[in-house]
Amino acid sequence: MSFYLDYQAAKPVDVRVVSEMTMYLNQKFANPSSLHCEGDEATDALSDSRQKVADFINSPNPDSIIFTSGATESNNLAIIGAAMRNQKKGNHIIISEIEHISILNIAKYLERQGFKVSRVPVDQYGIVRLDKLARLITDKTILISISTASNEVGSLQPIGKISDIATKNNILFHTDAVASESVIPLDVQEIPFDLVTLSSNDIYGPRGVGALYLKKGVRVNPIIIGGGQERGLRSGSENVPGIVGFAKAAEIMKAEINNDAERLKILRDKVIKGILESIPKSYLNGHPELRLPYNAHFRFDYIEGESLILSLKDENVAVATGSACSSKTLEPSHTLIAMGLLHEEAHGSLVVTLGRYTQEKDIDKLIEVLPNIVKRLRLLSPLTPPDLIKKYNEVNE
Amino acid sequence: MKSTEYTEKVLDHFRNPRNVGVIENPDGYGKVGNPICGDLMYMYIKVAKNNNDEEYIEDIKFKTFGCGSAVATSSMITEMAKGITLDEAYKITRQDVADELEGLPPIKMHCSNLAADALKAAIDNYRTGAEPEVEVATSCQLEIRVILGFDEFLGKGAFREAPENLEELRDKRILIIDSGDNSLELALQLTEYTGRVIVVTSSKGVPGREEIAKNLKKSDVKILHQSDLLEVKGELDEVERVVLHDYDEDENYELYVDVVIKLNYRG
Repeated sequence: MSFYLDYQAAKPVDVRVVSEMTMYLNQKFANPSSLHCEGDEATDALSDSRQKVADFINSPNPDSIIFTSGATESNNLAIIGAAMRNQKKGNHIIISEIEHISILNIAKYLERQGFKVSRVPVDQYGIVRLDKLARLITDKTILISISTASNEVGSLQPIGKISDIATKNNILFHTDAVASESVIPLDVQEIPFDLVTLSSNDIYGPRGVGALYLKKGVRVNPIIIGGGQERGLRSGSENVPGIVGFAKAAEIMKAEINNDAERLKILRDKVIKGILESIPKSYLNGHPELRLPYNAHFRFDYIEGESLILSLKDENVAVATGSACSSKTLEPSHTLIAMGLLHEEAHGSLVVTLGRYTQEKDIDKLIEVLPNIVKRLRLLSPLTPPDLIKKYNEVNE
Repeated sequence: MKSTEYTEKVLDHFRNPRNVGVIENPDGYGKVGNPICGDLMYMYIKVAKNNNDEEYIEDIKFKTFGCGSAVATSSMITEMAKGITLDEAYKITRQDVADELEGLPPIKMHCSNLAADALKAAIDNYRTGAEPEVEVATSCQLEIRVILGFDEFLGKGAFREAPENLEELRDKRILIIDSGDNSLELALQLTEYTGRVIVVTSSKGVPGREEIAKNLKKSDVKILHQSDLLEVKGELDEVERVVLHDYDEDENYELYVDVVIKLNYRG
């Protein structure tokens, strides 16, 4: 039996989504650009899907949805597209220090193209500093891109207030909503976002499909050039089965989001309480309340995260870490560093993310096995202070 | 290869590490690494004399903070060193440790280097009373990091020593890793053969002793400061590009080069 607690990295596709998609893989397979009846059928499926995804974020206008190959592409289209479109107005873009790697690297790319990028710092909880944001704005600022929540430590961002600041200064506001779309309803009429990135897999749809929402009147330059699909903003024959699956996932999510969030919050609080109470020198990273209902992010003094993951792997528990030793670059998580953690603290982190199919037994397993794993690694570590070693050894006797 | 794709033997040593602990009043004691970089190893030895009157490692223990391979390499080297003479133990290389573990992911090779260094430091401490603490590298990475792909392109654009005839390198785009004055002198020499010589160094300022630094400043050698070479890439069996890391900007980027030279460190 395996205990999957890494929903932030990947989610299974809901079976209801799979059955909706299948027909579009081998029966209704036509190209929506074709003029025959089969093509018309595909066009209908596409419009129907666009309506469902628009409904998901309460957009009154289905044409506001541009289907893409996923969140990374949506972020590219939003940020590069808006920057290129508006470069006569200004060359300054604001992101936060803790954005997803796709946004950080897009920003670096734009810097090489001559744009200026400011990165708003965060507080100790990983929440964007609004005071700093306001001060970073210049008359050359054309775009602010800040996610709805940290995809890593789960801190919820003050997107309503950021939107107010952007609107007041006549600056475009893009938000990557991927981290929160499965647990927090997004209403583009309540908060007037200009651009919103959505992902299919993050609401239990298939991978390889996503969307960018564009408010009426907002213009971006395309980054993929071709046959002019998706209002010319995203060329390439539409991934109809993927889009149909995404739309079905959005429809289900809209109906179940509040239930899912409530259920996950109870499990999350149980896992946080269980771990902090049973393991000395353990800490919660991120905000205790203003956090995604499915995210619990810990750190443990004196030990390293990859060792934790490996040990949990032996117990069939799947989790993630922000440790450098597990990354391709051997650099620790930029988010944890931006939050003010020392490198060695960032090395000892453990990321637990829950989802629609997480059951109580999954987190019970983690709570059951983790204290001994942490203890074993601490008894191995030269950093563990003698009094803690003594305490551990006393319990043994 | 994923950084955590370990052999069964590595996993065995991680799960059941041998010789964990501290020797009270050790004869020798070594400490390498740095928790900031994610690895820290302590090595303790007890020395005795065998029937041939040679000194050997009678007992050895370790404590390690780090990833799976850091724990496994520490455990492995204690098994390898226990019972053998100090001279033999001193000769254990990181490659020996990695081989004994049936291989390590390339990005984790530096862990085995740490284990070998910790043992050497403990022996040095016993023999000479040398400081047990070893500064591994100023930037955490430069000397200890294995360059992905480098070995794959040895002789196909990657060099561990300069070719006999530098004419071979005429008009090539050459990247040299700063590994001391030898490498910097080579860089200067190569400017006679090509207009494009790049030195990658972890230092902030111009590297090398005074005279070399002065010549470097005057030369056309391009210096990439606070940087490290991560990976050598190529197609059709030849070096084509490198991935560099800029610590100041915290950014990885690619650069087209034809030749990569990493001399062994000789001061």
